[in-house]
Amino acid sequence: MAARSTPWRRRAVTAGMLAALLLVAGCTSGGKPEGGGQATSTAAPAAPAAPLEVRLVAAAKVPPGLNAKRAAKQAAPGLERFLDRYLTAAFVQAPGGEAGWDGLLGLFDTPVRASARKQLDALSLGAAAPKVSAVRPSRASARAVVLYNGRRPAAATVRLAFDATADTAQGSGQVHLRSVLQLLATGEGWRIAAFDSRTGPPQ
Amino acid sequence: MSRPRPLAWIAALGLVAALGAGLVVATSPRRPATAQTGQAITVQRAHAGSATPSLKGRIVLLTIGSDSGAPKFGRGGAMESGRADALQLVVLDTVRHRGSVLSFPRDSYVPIPGHGTNKINAAMAFGGPPLLVATFERLTGLSIDYYAVTSFDGLTDIVNKVGGVRVGVDMNLRDHFAGAFLNKGRQTLNGRQALAYARARKTLPGGDFDRSRHQGQVLLGGLDTFQRQVAKDPTQVMTWLGVLRDEVKTDLPFPEVLRLALLATRVPPSQIRNLPVPGTAGSAGGASVVRLTPGAYALFGRIRAGKYS
Repeated sequence: MAARSTPWRRRAVTAGMLAALLLVAGCTSGGKPEGGGQATSTAAPAAPAAPLEVRLVAAAKVPPGLNAKRAAKQAAPGLERFLDRYLTAAFVQAPGGEAGWDGLLGLFDTPVRASARKQLDALSLGAAAPKVSAVRPSRASARAVVLYNGRRPAAATVRLAFDATADTAQGSGQVHLRSVLQLLATGEGWRIAAFDSRTGPPQ
Repeated sequence: MSRPRPLAWIAALGLVAALGAGLVVATSPRRPATAQTGQAITVQRAHAGSATPSLKGRIVLLTIGSDSGAPKFGRGGAMESGRADALQLVVLDTVRHRGSVLSFPRDSYVPIPGHGTNKINAAMAFGGPPLLVATFERLTGLSIDYYAVTSFDGLTDIVNKVGGVRVGVDMNLRDHFAGAFLNKGRQTLNGRQALAYARARKTLPGGDFDRSRHQGQVLLGGLDTFQRQVAKDPTQVMTWLGVLRDEVKTDLPFPEVLRLALLATRVPPSQIRNLPVPGTAGSAGGASVVRLTPGAYALFGRIRAGKYS
């Protein structure tokens, strides 16, 4: 009997404490002035920003004699750095103003740069950038197929997915990017040679 | 048994009260839900965009099918030093996304710089692709940007590695010499079938003219297949480029290969005319040749003027 009564009491006490906590929470919330709740919510400090970390899965198409798995492994760090640079310039540290996008546009191959400049809204925060105070990444993942020409990566197709929360003076909202990037390896690193991209709410 | 019950009742009542209070707060019309959950706003509306490289206005590419460098078909030697059995001049308007494939009969009897007049397919055997390019430039008045050469083996391997090409076969074929046994209609050809369709000549009513037209159809069928595959899976661009890397020799720098391939995803095959170069059958020194007619030179003039249809 005693052995049974002790856990029952513990459960009852736990339930009581939980109820009390909930009551306090409910009362506190209800006791504040109407406008106060909203102001508190939007003024609350944003959740600490997770560092941008691109998770990449890569495969490689290599000439005869090269090991495809090893080649994919070798190409991955450079691709991750490039995608990190892209997402940082496009979202995490996206600038406001027209001239501010030169850093991002520098990641595009020359023959596609003018088209990219006209389509910044589909590639980055775009026109929304000036009102965004912070971008907190929640997901940055990519799948790549890397083409080797000789012993070096020469081109790659990357499917990129990026989700984040953007903070503005009016509140916070989700931002999303889904892109297919065709990349060209140049002497200065990877450059985007073509793209098919969308931003905004997921479809 | 009786002692714990009051505590339990108190706890249960407390829980109900708390839940009730929370519910009232949550459903109160005077307090927006955002006060509890944080204000969610639309930061960015939906946008979509895409682009491929913008290249210079016109690109002229000479594609060459060599009769050498094909061990699988018992053809030794280097493919760049063989005779050119398939000759297509691809002229692409990169701005308007349209163009022409000029299909030349391999027996076209033309001046070859430094070698008098001969069949056009001998130019590559005399001086490799550079002499063949020079011959075409003199003949057509067009400046050729690049060439790409492959062999019998190369063509069959390309077609097999990409899973076949869709070609509109324009006649029933029963050609034992080339091994071409095909019925009229659009179909997916494997490597051996595509090569046979591109080589069949002896049983065709138009001989060399029909053959060169078929070669152009295989080329455009490849473009059609490429576009269909890339539309389903963009990584297929890398698959095709990997196949071409292994099977084609070209003076195109790799960045241009990629840019052209990306551009090619946007050029509808229906906007590229397959134009056999007009000529008449004749003979020279006992060999059968094709003499280009005035219509051929008029065609070159129209292409130079940017009229592709």
